[in-house]
Amino acid sequence: MNTPAPASQPIVRIRDLHFRRGARAIFNGVNLEIPRGKVTAILGPSGTGKTTLLRLIGAQIAPTSGTVEVDGVNVQSLAVKPLYELRKRMGMLFQSGALLTDLTVFENVAFPLREHTDLPASLLRSLVLMKLEMVGLRGARDLYPRELSGGMARRAALARAIALDPSMILYDEPFSGQDPISMGILVRLIRELNDALGLTSVLVSHDVAETSSIADYLFILAGATIVGAGTPAELRESDSPIIRQFMGGLPDGPVPFHFPAPPLLDDLLDAGP
Amino acid sequence: MIELLAKLGRASLGVFERLGRGHLFLLAVLGRLPGLALRPRLLLQQMWSVGVQSLLIIVVSGSFVGMVLGLQGYNTLVTFGAEESLGVVVAKSLLRELGPVIAALLFAGRAGSALTAEIGFMKATEQLSAMEMMAVDPLGRVVAPRFVAGLLSMPLLAAIFTAIGVLGGYFCGVGLLGVDEGAFWSQMQAKVTLVQDVVNGVVIKSLAFGLVVSWIAVFEGYDAVPTSEGVSAATTRTVVHSSLAILGLDFVLTGLMFN
Repeated sequence: MNTPAPASQPIVRIRDLHFRRGARAIFNGVNLEIPRGKVTAILGPSGTGKTTLLRLIGAQIAPTSGTVEVDGVNVQSLAVKPLYELRKRMGMLFQSGALLTDLTVFENVAFPLREHTDLPASLLRSLVLMKLEMVGLRGARDLYPRELSGGMARRAALARAIALDPSMILYDEPFSGQDPISMGILVRLIRELNDALGLTSVLVSHDVAETSSIADYLFILAGATIVGAGTPAELRESDSPIIRQFMGGLPDGPVPFHFPAPPLLDDLLDAGP
Repeated sequence: MIELLAKLGRASLGVFERLGRGHLFLLAVLGRLPGLALRPRLLLQQMWSVGVQSLLIIVVSGSFVGMVLGLQGYNTLVTFGAEESLGVVVAKSLLRELGPVIAALLFAGRAGSALTAEIGFMKATEQLSAMEMMAVDPLGRVVAPRFVAGLLSMPLLAAIFTAIGVLGGYFCGVGLLGVDEGAFWSQMQAKVTLVQDVVNGVVIKSLAFGLVVSWIAVFEGYDAVPTSEGVSAATTRTVVHSSLAILGLDFVLTGLMFN
């Protein structure tokens, strides 16, 4: 791929990111750089704040401290107007799809175009149909979100995410809850769209196998910080116990199976409720 | 004792914090109104779902309330031989109090709860977040049109409620109980005044109720905890708070207008 070296011009640069929710530290000094033009995945167990990280990149929430830069701009420093301009260059696929339920698939994909452009109806129609064709849903354009399967809803949302031809797409758990066929379609689509449209793709996921199959670069998030980074092949060869546990899907290890609790015997002998 | 005071303090702080957030939210929505003026289609769509779709309950309720007023008013007035004044009693009761108040209570139950549930559901299903990420302001695109539609629909619905109520009173009084038709209409025409009755009652009161109900409804939806329990609780709060606000505000407005 004809893209700059990852270290030279990262599209996203996160430095010493701290984020707390109440007393709980979600991120405790996260540093990472997302290379341009690649598929980068952030893997981690459930509840480690992967979705929060995407929201921080999109400036929907503010960090406790640290910076998040997109295209060299600190997103927290932006006023509403420039932030919205930046977001037009960022697509986001939500875990639920987040399609507007009162609009058809066609109107959902047309939504950002209608909001931000003044295209003639015929051109807008052609654009929407082309986006839908890319995700294989041109024939489903008149359906409402409630009439779509989970996989179709996510594909429709993907067509909407690329409607404004963004330079980067953020995927929030794109594979969770998908049947094997839908998952296969989404895996292929993410890779193909990234390469065909020259995008940068950022996935957060806990599906190691599917994500490793398409990602150029992986970060592993655990214990409020990045515990591993590298290509899928490098991480598979890692000696780090936590990386081995996560990449191998082992139920227990540095990330414990049990939620912190007193010893079982004490609990069983305790007559209290 | 200290624990009790601390709980009371925490609860009070929570209430004031929420009140503050509600007022800032209203200011933010009002700031989006110039943008809405450029997109009247959004407003018309919401006028349809908030206003027009509330018509059935308003018309049916208005006719029953008017008919009951006709029956009760006749029973009272006939004791004094003043049943020709039935038209005035029905019209003034409806214009000043029952029209705006009952229409607003019905509006809070029908449209206010729907607004809260719709916005809360959009929040719970990340539709509002998705709009933000598409660089579309949800306050301008979703909240402002619904707020203004509620505000404008309320006086129209109250006017329809009142008109239908008067016809209901006429049906019972003149049609069933034999009050003189000429007296019914002419006394109404003579005694009902435009400013004191119509403007104060149906226009100003209804606008005030429309503002409060729409504000509470859109704020509760936008501020809802994004879960099914959260949206359900927000919907309940909308109906309860709106109803109390309508009745309390009605007392204040009546005191200011008619005393």
